[in-house]
Amino acid sequence: MEMIVSFILAIVSYMLIDNVVLSRFYGICSFIGVGNKVKSAFSMGLAVTFVIMMATLVCYPLYFYVLVPAGIPFLDTLVYILVIASLVQIVGLFIKKTSPSLYKTLGIYLPLITTNCAVLGVVQTNSDSQLDFLTSLANGLGTSIGFLVVIVLFACMRERLNGYNIPKAMKGVPIALIVAALMAMAFMGFGGMVG
Amino acid sequence: MNNIKRGQHKASFLNGILKENPLLVQILGLCPALAVTKSLETAFGMGLLFTFVLVSSNVIVSLLRKLIPEEIRTPCYIVVIATFVTIVKMLAEAFLPELYSSLGVFLSLLVVNCIVLGRSEAFAGQNGVFDSFLDGCGNGIGYTWAISLMGLIREIFGKGTLTIGKVFNFFGDPLVLPILKSTTLDANGDPLYDFSISIFQNPAGAFIVLGLMLAVMAAITNHKKAVEKAKERAAKEAAKAEATLVAGGAK
Amino acid sequence: MDQRQAFILAIVIIVVLLIVFVVSFVIYMRTPAPKGCEKLKIGPKNCEDCDVEGCMIYKERHKEEKKEEKE
Repeated sequence: MEMIVSFILAIVSYMLIDNVVLSRFYGICSFIGVGNKVKSAFSMGLAVTFVIMMATLVCYPLYFYVLVPAGIPFLDTLVYILVIASLVQIVGLFIKKTSPSLYKTLGIYLPLITTNCAVLGVVQTNSDSQLDFLTSLANGLGTSIGFLVVIVLFACMRERLNGYNIPKAMKGVPIALIVAALMAMAFMGFGGMVG
Repeated sequence: MNNIKRGQHKASFLNGILKENPLLVQILGLCPALAVTKSLETAFGMGLLFTFVLVSSNVIVSLLRKLIPEEIRTPCYIVVIATFVTIVKMLAEAFLPELYSSLGVFLSLLVVNCIVLGRSEAFAGQNGVFDSFLDGCGNGIGYTWAISLMGLIREIFGKGTLTIGKVFNFFGDPLVLPILKSTTLDANGDPLYDFSISIFQNPAGAFIVLGLMLAVMAAITNHKKAVEKAKERAAKEAAKAEATLVAGGAK
Repeated sequence: MDQRQAFILAIVIIVVLLIVFVVSFVIYMRTPAPKGCEKLKIGPKNCEDCDVEGCMIYKERHKEEKKEEKE
């Protein structure tokens, strides 16, 4: 019981308090670049979620049961990026072959996930801070749900920005960053929620 | 011939510094720019390590560009970059432990940095070794000054003081400059004056500072464009007026 | 495990992962996209013929085009 509670608390804290985008700054490029279509933001978020979970599941045993016993933990980054890139290709291949409709919504985002810092960031944090398996899973789950929530909220907010008269220099990315700053302030309110 | 070549070298070096600044104009590499700019020194250190990775991966990619088959270019680039990031990580851990611990996971995240991969694909894969080296240097310097400026703003406004020599601690004790916050304490143990705004140290402050910097850059570019357009229009009108004058004179 | 074995293991791991990545990458690139999705690509190079309206690059480009037409 205690384990379940701490698992859920860890998920919440990785999702809201230590949000990927707004306080850990992973995946800003895709966060800014995905634009103001809520639907495409949601697809992007789902794709990232899936890859993060898969990467966590593969990389955890690879690090703790292969790299560490062999005495070569310094190869972690190289191994992780290869695993993540292969995973993305394999998932992409699977989608391409089986489901054209899914490919239509996710297809353009798949190559971008390899270079999304969120995936490598989660996996690297897991091994850098020596998290146990359950906390690693919670990190993966919380991070990806947090990414999904924030990227969808952000797309909604930018949709509303469309009709407003913004100074010419602020158009595009600068105003998006200011919006992100306001969101980050709102998310600061979650601080201290989980002791 | 020689002049043209020299011009090209110069362009590939200078483009990255201002005209095509990777952070401020191309808007790439936002994650480290936001995350490691809490203080000037970590930002500068990140810029240095970034430049090292960029230059070395550019050189190797451009050396290998004729050996790598077209089809598997991206995987090869990723491996080259990841190798250099591993090397940089080990060097930083050995020689700059303070910087290594304050950069944390963002040192590893250089692997997926859009700028490094982008320069390999867009420049080093098609150009000679020397040009790629210069391009790496230019882009590295451009990125370094941009994030250092960000770090400077965030440290001065957020902490009120400017610390020099804490990360690069080769010269003894760090130097703390009081700018917006006094380093001497009064009777109650509070600083004499304190005008620092702590939001600049928070994530929200990072977003605001970067957003304003990009806006300023965009405003400058817009202004330049407008001036050029006005000049062009003036030149056209002058030419027209002259033409009518000439025509009138002919009559 | 002594140093030589670890060294060999490191090389084996990297090479195996690299082969997996390269093979999956090549297969992915060679697989034709399903019908109706041939134009789905992202990146400055491919933006000329992209029609994803949510993309920022798309919007910026079309704004500029419209302005130029007006002028």
